[in-house]
Amino acid sequence: MSLFGTTSGFGTSGTSMFGSATTDNHNPMKDIEVTSSPDDSIGCLSFSPPTLPGNFLIAGSWANDVRCWEVQDSGQTIPKAQQMHTGPVLDVCWSDDGSKVFTASCDKTAKMWDLSSNQAIQIAQHDAPVKTIHWIKAPNYSCVMTGSWDKTLKFWDTRSSNPMMVLQLPERCYCADVIYPMAVVATAERGLIVYQLENQPSEFRRIESPLKHQHRCVAIFKDKQNKPTGFALGSIEGRVAIHYINPPNPAKDNFTFKCHRSNGTNTSAPQDIYAVNGIAFHPVHGTLATVGSDGRFSFWDKDARTKLKTSEQLDQPISACCFNHNGNIFAYASSYDWSKVRTPGPALGAPRQQSQALGSEGLGLSCDSSQDSRVSLGRSPSPPCKGKLQDFLKWLWGFSTAFGQNPAHRKCSASVSHYGLLCSWAQKHRQAGGCTL
Amino acid sequence: MAICQFFLQGRCRFGDRCWNEHPGARGAGGGRQQPQQQPSGNNRRGWNTTSQRYSNVIQPSSFSKSTPWGGSRDQEKPYFSSFDSGASTNRKEGFGLSENPFASLSPDEQKDEKKLLEGIVKDMEVWESSGQWMFSVYSPVKKKPNISGFTDISPEELRLEYHNFLTSNNLQSYLNSVQRLINQWRNRVNELKSLNISTKVALLSDVKDGVNQAAPAFGFGSSQAATFMSPGFPVNNSSSDNAQNFSFKTNSGFAAASSGSPAGFGSSPAFGAAASTSSGISTSAPAFGFGKPEVTSAASFSFKSPAASSFGSPGFSGLPASLATGPVRAPVAPAFGGGSSVAGFGSPGSHSHTAFSKPSSDTFGNSSISTSLSASSSIVATDNVLFTPRDKLTVEELEQFQSKKFTLGKIPLKPPPLELLNV
Repeated sequence: MSLFGTTSGFGTSGTSMFGSATTDNHNPMKDIEVTSSPDDSIGCLSFSPPTLPGNFLIAGSWANDVRCWEVQDSGQTIPKAQQMHTGPVLDVCWSDDGSKVFTASCDKTAKMWDLSSNQAIQIAQHDAPVKTIHWIKAPNYSCVMTGSWDKTLKFWDTRSSNPMMVLQLPERCYCADVIYPMAVVATAERGLIVYQLENQPSEFRRIESPLKHQHRCVAIFKDKQNKPTGFALGSIEGRVAIHYINPPNPAKDNFTFKCHRSNGTNTSAPQDIYAVNGIAFHPVHGTLATVGSDGRFSFWDKDARTKLKTSEQLDQPISACCFNHNGNIFAYASSYDWSKVRTPGPALGAPRQQSQALGSEGLGLSCDSSQDSRVSLGRSPSPPCKGKLQDFLKWLWGFSTAFGQNPAHRKCSASVSHYGLLCSWAQKHRQAGGCTL
Repeated sequence: MAICQFFLQGRCRFGDRCWNEHPGARGAGGGRQQPQQQPSGNNRRGWNTTSQRYSNVIQPSSFSKSTPWGGSRDQEKPYFSSFDSGASTNRKEGFGLSENPFASLSPDEQKDEKKLLEGIVKDMEVWESSGQWMFSVYSPVKKKPNISGFTDISPEELRLEYHNFLTSNNLQSYLNSVQRLINQWRNRVNELKSLNISTKVALLSDVKDGVNQAAPAFGFGSSQAATFMSPGFPVNNSSSDNAQNFSFKTNSGFAAASSGSPAGFGSSPAFGAAASTSSGISTSAPAFGFGKPEVTSAASFSFKSPAASSFGSPGFSGLPASLATGPVRAPVAPAFGGGSSVAGFGSPGSHSHTAFSKPSSDTFGNSSISTSLSASSSIVATDNVLFTPRDKLTVEELEQFQSKKFTLGKIPLKPPPLELLNV
């Protein structure tokens, strides 16, 4: 605990790794940056399941590609393979045996990528972009669940081109999560539906949304017996709701909390409110991580209802996040998430304005789309702290690695990409600079 | 003393009697005085009272170590004062009676309404100033249905639009559409911030009955792919599908009162506003979604008996013809009679709404109406006055108002004067 107990370790050093004179906030947490990051915004991240030895990270991006890296224990990331869609990739997931990756894209299809043969075949078709994709492994069946903006939820056996089942949604599917036997889908117009997947998927309950604004992301959490018992729902209004499915006391057990706001608890002054772009639960400790458009990620303990840690602000929104299967690594993607669509408002940190190709400010069109997209990895060291209350803090230490890199501009013909790796190794003291690979 | 683990989890069986320390419980019952001494020094009345607000209670001192990361933590303020327990948000407390129907306005309910409206105003202010994502639905109370007038567009959908337009080299239209959306949103927010009677009534009925989202296939996700790329894309599709979206074009509060309010039935379909999307919406059913009470018009259909079924037929038959002449707005006052006379009429109920959408799509399916309407939409938009004073009317208009029926081709564009309306 003493290693990381002070704030000095995290990103307070002003020297930039890339030697620029200006303050470079793209990696304030000094985390490991993944090499060969995608060229455009990263929409989704997913780590390989425990059945696969080692850690493999999949990221889908708005550059129509899906990339796979192997993340070694040293923190080094090795790009392994890539597949293309004809539209931006919105969601990725792994099969339970780790041999296949499923990707959902705006080209209204979903593909199954066989990693061993590096072939991808189409397994699903919708009438509108496919927003979510999940693999369901039940005792008596296994299938892929795709949610799309055409207001349907379809279940596919990968061998057939017809869906096994089609369920209607009240509105466009915005986000979903699956932990067998429970699935949660959040739709537009604040719709929220829980499905039970035993025997065959069926709608379990429609829930009144505990949030007042648009749903953005959802993640299921488990109870002590490792059974899914509720979910966390994030909205565009900097708020997350924790909702239990069958709580003993709903009024008391379900709650919401504010996050990703500029002023924290001081609500009297006007504050900037950012969308919660992703929620992920730690597989072991059950703590949750949220990433937002403000360029920060935070860790929370929902049982004690406390905030555990907030990172420094990155210069770009964080668009996706993911834990690996044992919770040792936390990956987050720093890239523009289209949140600045408004008349010029307060800038987010110090955004790097790399191209003025469109020349229109404030409508989310300028430069931002070609800003850096990065994926960062945080590694958690072995828990240095003892004490019963610290066990869920263990994994925090050594977290936070920001990615930063200079992705190629989409508009520039000569793409300059720096593949720098900042190594911040949790087990070592966090030294400014660390080792660069 | 040892810190009670169960208390930290919120489930200590002994409550005040617990021999372990309940940290932070002291701050919880700040307003409540406990006369007797508590051995553990906390003020909790018992762990099973729902009034217990956990957001104030749990301040485990052992978490102080995480404060360097956790953000500011005052000694006085609860550690996670940003947490709201599900039942105890300030808003909810104000809406303790919000479950009651608004049918009869007892003083308590009036207070709740007031709080509701205040809450909405505050929310709008926060929404504007905070720079949060604007294309989102909104509901004033957590479990309640959405307020009309806002559409849900996710950032991904907007971005996809951008990408599509990029490939077709038509960025300017994308920019225009987004700008239009932004304006619509801003208008609606301003409307809600400066609540006048009509919007208030509309809101209340929204919250009470739920906005009818009949086919809210917003342009982005709709299967009408063809209309997708049209220049006015978001406005087009949204208005074509969702009755409530029509208010975007005008700053007239659309009183999108949904079903179950027969009194509010006869309000004015602000057609002018409806057809603002010039690119020919096929289903002008949403035109009826406006019912802005302030926009009065002299339509030929009678609103006197606002039965759902009867509304549809006479209204529609008279409509196409009258529309051709200009924006038609229904007279407000005479139709209402009961209750709040400026009841937001808007979309007349769920089932009746569907009754509309069908006939309307049959009768309206031509763009000529919409163009004529759009031409006059500007007029509609700026007209905020409920009634025109008599002197402002021309002789012809006055004549029209005074006659039993409007003659086609001579339907006035201005609302009738107050004196001529028979309530």
